[in-house]
Amino acid sequence: MLIETFYRQIGSEIVTNKSFKFSMPVYKLHYFNNPRRGRAELSRLIFSQAGVQFEDVRFSHSEWPNIKPTTPFSQVPILEVDGQVLAQSNAIARYLARKYGLAGKDEWEQAQTDMYIENIHDLLNAAAVPFMEKDPAKQKELYQKFMTDTIASHVVAVEKQLKKNNTGYLVGKQLTAADLAYYAFFSDFIEVKFGGAFLKDAPLLKSLIDRVKALPNIKKWTEFRDSKYPEEN
Amino acid sequence: MVHYKLIYFNLRGRGELARLVLHHQEVAFEDFRFEREEWPKYKAGTPFGQVPVLEVDGKPLAQSNAIARYLARQHGLAGQNEWEQSQADMYVDCIYDLISGTRPIIYETDKEKQKEILQKFLKETVNPHLEKLEQQLIKNGTGFLVGKSITWADLAYYSFFSPMTERFGDSVIDNSPHLKKLVEHVANIPQIKKYVETRPKTTL
Repeated sequence: MLIETFYRQIGSEIVTNKSFKFSMPVYKLHYFNNPRRGRAELSRLIFSQAGVQFEDVRFSHSEWPNIKPTTPFSQVPILEVDGQVLAQSNAIARYLARKYGLAGKDEWEQAQTDMYIENIHDLLNAAAVPFMEKDPAKQKELYQKFMTDTIASHVVAVEKQLKKNNTGYLVGKQLTAADLAYYAFFSDFIEVKFGGAFLKDAPLLKSLIDRVKALPNIKKWTEFRDSKYPEEN
Repeated sequence: MVHYKLIYFNLRGRGELARLVLHHQEVAFEDFRFEREEWPKYKAGTPFGQVPVLEVDGKPLAQSNAIARYLARQHGLAGQNEWEQSQADMYVDCIYDLISGTRPIIYETDKEKQKEILQKFLKETVNPHLEKLEQQLIKNGTGFLVGKSITWADLAYYSFFSPMTERFGDSVIDNSPHLKKLVEHVANIPQIKKYVETRPKTTL
């Protein structure tokens, strides 16, 4: 093999992270054992799409009191990278996205990717309010309000941005963690819980969700995840 | 030279961190502020119906942390390497959560109820966070949150805790000597001091 072909192959393998074990850090992602919802899924999708091995540590709520004091800020998810700890779901996702080529091609695209991930963070926070409501009647009312007030207007806004960007992706011309974040939230959470009606006037968002869902590595991950960790409650 | 226009209410709130980053690094920008009553005029022009928005040569970027992070990275205030950058991100994300926790307090009109919600917030959310934060500051051992020098994470903690102590008293961070020292350090940085003295006086 010519030297340059050899180096080009190594280069492309580094980029796709197929076999460079000696340069690969040891990753442990710690979170509750919620299979789908929750704040660790974006990082799992990034790992999966990038083809990067990680230990997917999941624990039950009864184990949490023992684990809590060992975390930097009494919260999960946390990511261990060769034993060093990073907290905050978005900081983790962002770190992995940048490392594995899912954060856009330059600083500006990275900022756009961040923006979309933070949008989803806000929507997750908004969804947490009805999610935590114990009274079933009140919960139903809060979820309805959440869908009509918060989700509907955001879907209109993001559809507009997708049209403006005009590439099928949220940022630039290729897949980023932003697309994965929107897939995780809108497909795995919203669609599962409320059905797909909210997408009826958002063909570009629907198309994006379907495209991410069909990506080979994402498909492989979700099939594995759903069989190993069937949906609880 | 890139032209920055930061668009936000005439408040500190979620726009202040970006302003502090720019002032600390002495980067010129258009600090566009509008009053609450004018919001309907500007809302439709934003990407997601929210501010702050940063226009970079006319191109819009939304989300307060995405904005401040972009500016911190562009102007050398984000950390010395990828790991430090992610640590700084982590701290700023913590502040984001704390800011969100203040919303119910700020919007509560009943003074008694407001006091009650505040006390609960301090006891259940702020204090536990501060206990952990002190440990992290001690562990890092440099006086700064990340690495050996100031990052936007330190500005974020100043940006949140300085108004908190102004509004609710020094006791908020009395049990956090390392944070207290950090907040004082930031307050005394000449560029920050100058900006704080000359910025519009706002309630939030």
